[in-house]
Amino acid sequence: MVFSLGIKTRGEYAEEAAQQVIDAAIVRWQGTGLEAEVRNHKSGMARPYVYIKCPRNHWRAVAKWLRFEMGADHCSMITGIHWPDGPDDCKWEVVAHLMRMNVINPPERGGWTKQVIRDPKILQDDDVPMEFEVSISIPDTRNPSVQSVQEVWMGADWNEKETWDLVGIDFEGHENMRRVLQPHDTPVGFHPLQRQHKIRYHDFEVMYDDAQGFGRKAIDEGKTK
Amino acid sequence: MGPQHPMTHGLWTLKVKVDGETVVDTIPDLGYIHRGVEKICESRDFTKITTYCDRLCYASANTWSHSYIYAAEDLLEVEVPERAEYIRVIAVELQRIASHLMWLGAFCPDIGNLTAFVWCLREREMMLDLLQELGGSRMHYNFPRIGGVKRDLPIGFAMRARAKIKLFLDRIQETEQLLDESTVFLVRTQGVGYAKPEEMVNWGVTGPNVRAGGVNYDVRWAHPYSVYDQLDWDVSVERPSIKGADSYDRYRVRVDEMRQSALMCLDALNKIPGGAETHYSEGDPMIISKAKERAEEGKTGFHHFEDSRGESMFYMVGGGDQRGKHPYRISIRSPMFLTIPYASKCMIGYKVADIPAIMGSFDPCIGETDR
Amino acid sequence: MADDAQNYSMFNSQALVDVVGDTTDAALEASSIKKFISVLAGRFFNWGQRKSLFPLHLGIKCCALEMAAAGGGRFDAERFGVFFRSSPRQCDVLIVNGPVSKKFADPIVRLWEQMPEPKWCIAMGECAISGGPYYQSYNILEGVDTLIPVDVYVPGCPPRPEALIDGFAHLRKKIMKMGVKSSSKNVGDAPIIIGDD
Repeated sequence: MVFSLGIKTRGEYAEEAAQQVIDAAIVRWQGTGLEAEVRNHKSGMARPYVYIKCPRNHWRAVAKWLRFEMGADHCSMITGIHWPDGPDDCKWEVVAHLMRMNVINPPERGGWTKQVIRDPKILQDDDVPMEFEVSISIPDTRNPSVQSVQEVWMGADWNEKETWDLVGIDFEGHENMRRVLQPHDTPVGFHPLQRQHKIRYHDFEVMYDDAQGFGRKAIDEGKTK
Repeated sequence: MGPQHPMTHGLWTLKVKVDGETVVDTIPDLGYIHRGVEKICESRDFTKITTYCDRLCYASANTWSHSYIYAAEDLLEVEVPERAEYIRVIAVELQRIASHLMWLGAFCPDIGNLTAFVWCLREREMMLDLLQELGGSRMHYNFPRIGGVKRDLPIGFAMRARAKIKLFLDRIQETEQLLDESTVFLVRTQGVGYAKPEEMVNWGVTGPNVRAGGVNYDVRWAHPYSVYDQLDWDVSVERPSIKGADSYDRYRVRVDEMRQSALMCLDALNKIPGGAETHYSEGDPMIISKAKERAEEGKTGFHHFEDSRGESMFYMVGGGDQRGKHPYRISIRSPMFLTIPYASKCMIGYKVADIPAIMGSFDPCIGETDR
Repeated sequence: MADDAQNYSMFNSQALVDVVGDTTDAALEASSIKKFISVLAGRFFNWGQRKSLFPLHLGIKCCALEMAAAGGGRFDAERFGVFFRSSPRQCDVLIVNGPVSKKFADPIVRLWEQMPEPKWCIAMGECAISGGPYYQSYNILEGVDTLIPVDVYVPGCPPRPEALIDGFAHLRKKIMKMGVKSSSKNVGDAPIIIGDD
């Protein structure tokens, strides 16, 4: 007969912590259209993560709540997706991945700092490292934009620049928005990751009898690219 | 400091505003090798994208292709056999050692110590020989497959790996001794480039840079994947000064990480299911499991991975062309993309001659920054 | 007064030098010693050129690590006279080891123009030859030979350091066959006694 002595494994702590975040989200954001649920990776990571579907006009408030009350202090990535064939209320999507790292400046003692070593077996509740995925849908528009969270996480700064540069989603309130990966003199309005832009020779299929493709011409040959 | 510069470790420009000899402001300018990998991968099968991910950060190719493979397995819902996970860990940790050796080999000439360049490249050749046995090539191996690995450990690999890793552990001690007893190295790296861990996390810096700040955050134990929770290892953390982590701390973290990776490899060779001396042929279910080729629309997968330089992440959305054979969108998070602006801010207040010491200690790799 | 006298004497000596130079030149040409000497000198310069190629410290992408490994201890490139320099003004060879993006097209052409003649270019790796795996990208040019003239192509992704050293051997053979390129028109006939260029 096996009974648990109350010592839980880390996985269970993580699930509990994720559920706590969901409960807090439901309490705090009731009625705004925010959906939150615990999801599991289908492979790889053995820990659950928190998935939040945030309405567009609440993004900055939700970000602040996540940062200061839920402890998501690390902005891993903010990226954008263009769905030209998607549902009408989701033609553009901004997906933000955040993590709770719970990094604190190591305390000082006698002129030296003390290392902060966390024993992974005993982390609980707010201390458990957690992944968050926030998805914001933007309805059909020529100038998609979302509030900027530059002042909440400094890391969001360059991520938003890159998203604007490549996908074209603007971030309101973002200072010093500029091209960061493409050349500075790229034509205004050229955002290559939108679906209408195709890659060069995009319709080349593999020709088994013409491995080098010498006999084959691209359909859009002759047009300026 | 323009794109062609021997100290910048990659192709980017750092515009530096100076007041005499002191740095007042810096602006990094990236994008010189922006290849549009995210766009190209939208027209590639899932198996073909691995080759692109190798070339994202060329100094540590295995870590990036594994990072992609875990995300693809999350998207395609694939179970990986345990022996394959062990082989992957061995490959990743060997690659981590090789990457850190390349970093040290490039960092020391910046400080002025050219001997360490030759010594580190010599050790790196040892590691590259082992990786060549596993993967087939010196740099871009295309080693992991969705569902497992390409090949099992070759016959005799365990014996050679153990011998080489033991030799490496002795030699890294020599290199450490060379650098720690060199006054020039100590003077140029200590007290230079302070970085506080909280600021680093706010900016999005991860990996050895934040561990140099005294906090043992590592994706391998915080969000465990693969078999890291079954291996016996310690996180490499430094004890910095009050002002933050300086370049010397970052150097020490990476040397310690090299040791830990070497010990992890030896441990994995001991614990691998099926034994390290047995060799299964390609396609055997012990090392690879069948994976489906298509991802339906609406499915997403992402995975945080501890790369040599920080936390890398792939976010993939299924449902692209050819009824799901291609991903709809693949989004790559590179740790260096956020570290380089932060490191540029770290330089303010120091002399121009400290710029290579600070920049080199953050270990920039522009391949992953400008995907 | 003294300055004028000095200038006058200098002017005189310059004219004197020219006259002496012209007569010596004509004499040597008549006796075809000049051709003999210039051929010897040409061969000597050629030998110097090809035995000590100084590439530029330019690392674009992955092939740069193989270039660094070629300079390391195992595949020592320095024994062939190859010594990497940081400034383009002091280099002979530009090794392009990565894809050239639109943003980098301008700097690479400027680097090429900053290099003094005679200069050569090695395109190392698939990305520099034809765009490589990124030939479909919106930001990558299809090969560096769209911008600058390439002498040797070293294929591979990345080419092994031994392949790069083989590329240097091919470049040396090419230099031997084609002679030293120079901006002055008649290299073999340039007089060597009094600097005329």
